[in-house]
Amino acid sequence: MKRLQLHRWSSSVLSPRARTGSRVQQHLHSGVRHQSTASPLQSEASSQEEPFLEEAPVDEGLARHIRSIRFKRPEIQYPSPPVEAARSSAKLAALHARLYLPSRLPLETLARTLVDASADPNPHFNNESLVTLGHDLLTYYTSEHLLCTYPRLPLAVIFSSMYAYAGPKSLAAMAKEWGVEAATLPGGRLTQFRRIDPGAEVPGSAEKREPRQQMGRKIFYDNEYGDAPSGPVDRNAGVSAEQASSDFVRAVMGAIYLHAGRPAAKRFFEQHFLSRQLNISSLFSFSQPARDLNRLCARENFEQPVAKIISETGRRSRSPVFVIGIFSGQDKLGEGAGSSLFEGRERAAVAALKGWYLYSPLSVRVPSSMEEEGAAPWKPVHVDLGEVIV
Amino acid sequence: MPVQALRTVTAARNGVGAFILQCKRLDFHYCDWAGSSRGMNEFLRQNLPAFAREHPQIEIRVAPRPRKHPIIRGHFVNGKDKTICVRNLEPSDILKQTLLLKDASGEKLKRTKKPVTSTNDSVRGIWSPYHGDLRGV
Repeated sequence: MKRLQLHRWSSSVLSPRARTGSRVQQHLHSGVRHQSTASPLQSEASSQEEPFLEEAPVDEGLARHIRSIRFKRPEIQYPSPPVEAARSSAKLAALHARLYLPSRLPLETLARTLVDASADPNPHFNNESLVTLGHDLLTYYTSEHLLCTYPRLPLAVIFSSMYAYAGPKSLAAMAKEWGVEAATLPGGRLTQFRRIDPGAEVPGSAEKREPRQQMGRKIFYDNEYGDAPSGPVDRNAGVSAEQASSDFVRAVMGAIYLHAGRPAAKRFFEQHFLSRQLNISSLFSFSQPARDLNRLCARENFEQPVAKIISETGRRSRSPVFVIGIFSGQDKLGEGAGSSLFEGRERAAVAALKGWYLYSPLSVRVPSSMEEEGAAPWKPVHVDLGEVIV
Repeated sequence: MPVQALRTVTAARNGVGAFILQCKRLDFHYCDWAGSSRGMNEFLRQNLPAFAREHPQIEIRVAPRPRKHPIIRGHFVNGKDKTICVRNLEPSDILKQTLLLKDASGEKLKRTKKPVTSTNDSVRGIWSPYHGDLRGV
C-alpha cells in the first residue's frame, strides 16, 4: 500500500481554517450552526483583561514600571506561553522522554497539547483541533479492538468498555500517571485551563440527564460511551480538571498521528491504552439470567437448558451449599454454587451467558492492521447475531 | 430488562506496555562554603551532566542551600517526595543515592509478605470441596 502523505494533511489540522469545529453528531443534534469551520474567538470582559489601562494611573512612576514590565516580559500578555519557550522548558523535555514520544514530535506541539481552549481561546494556540483528531483515533482503535476481540459482547457492555478504555475518567487518570501537573490560568508550562468555579454545574455532565433506555436509539443519537451528547460547551466558563487532563491525553494522540504517522500512533495506543487492565466479565449485570439463557438456547437451536444438582451439602443445615450445573442435552453450559437452589441456578446461568458473550476468536486481526505495509490479505472477522432480545 | 453494564475504569499496569519512570524530578541542593558539600560539589561538576544525559525523563534542578548540608530530593509521579542527606559523601556514593531515588516508586516502603502480588485471578482456581473425587465419611 502506498504511504500516505501525512505532512500535507497535518497543516490542515494544525491550522484552524479547514477544521470541523466540533463532532458531526453534536452539530446535528445541538442545532447550532457555525458559519466558519474555525472555532469562534470568544470575547472576554475587557475589565478583566487589562485592569491597569482602563483608569488613569495616579502614580506616574508606577505606570512606567508597569509599562517596563510589559516591555521586558511580553509573555505575560498572552494566555499561553510563547512558542519559543517550549525549547527551554525542562519539564516539557522530561515529559517527552518519559512518554517515549517519537523524536519527530517537536516540543512546540507537545506544549500546545497542554493548552486548553478555556485558557487560550485562539485556535492557533490551543489544543482543540488535536483533541478532536485524537479523540476520533482513540475511539476508533478502541472500538475496533473490542468488536473484533469480543464479537458477541452486548451493546451495553461495549459502551461501558469504551468508557473504561477511552472515557474521560481513564484518560484523566493516565495524565496523572504520566506525571502531568495542572497549572491555573496565567503562565505555567503544564496543562493550562481555566478552572470551573466550585459548585457550578459541569457543562456536559451526563449524570444530570435522563439516560436513554433503548439501545437502538443509543447507537443513533448518543456518543461512543452511550451518553447523550453534550452539545457545544462554552469554554469561557471554565472546565474541570478531569476534562482538561483527558483532553490533553487525546491531544497527545492526535499530535503523534500528525507528526509521526499512523504506525507510531497505533503503537502509542497499544502501549499506553490497550495495555491497561480491564476485566470485561465484571461489567455484566443480569437481572434474569435464566430467562436470557432460555431465549439464547432457543435462538441458537440448542436443546432447552436444564438445571441439575451436581453436588450438595448440608441441605437441612443453616449453611447449605448447592453446586448447580446448567445442561443443554449432554453439554454443560455453566456451573455455579449457591446457598439455595435458586441462587445456584442463577449463578450457573450467569456463567453460561458469560461463556457465550465473552467468546473471543484466536489470532484476531483488526481492520486498521490492513493499513500496515505488506499486510496479509484480509479475512473477514466473526460477526455475531448480537445479544439475545428478551 | 436484558443485560445491563456497569461502568468502571481501566487499571494501569506500568511496564506491561510502556514503562513510565516514576521519578519525575530530582533536586540537588549544595553549599559553596560548607565542608560537608565538598563531595556534592564535585558530583555536580563531574557526574551530574552524564547522569542527566542518560536519564532525559527526569527533570533536574540544582540550587544552592547555603549553610546547610547537601541533599537530594526526588519528586515522584504519585505526588510524594523523598529526601536523602548526602553530607560528607564521596561522589560515587552520591551517585548511588541518586540512582536509588531514580529507581524508587515514591511509595512508602512496605514489607511484602506474599511471594506473588497480582491483580489477576489465580490460574489454578480456588479449591472447592464439592468437586473432584468426593470421599464418603
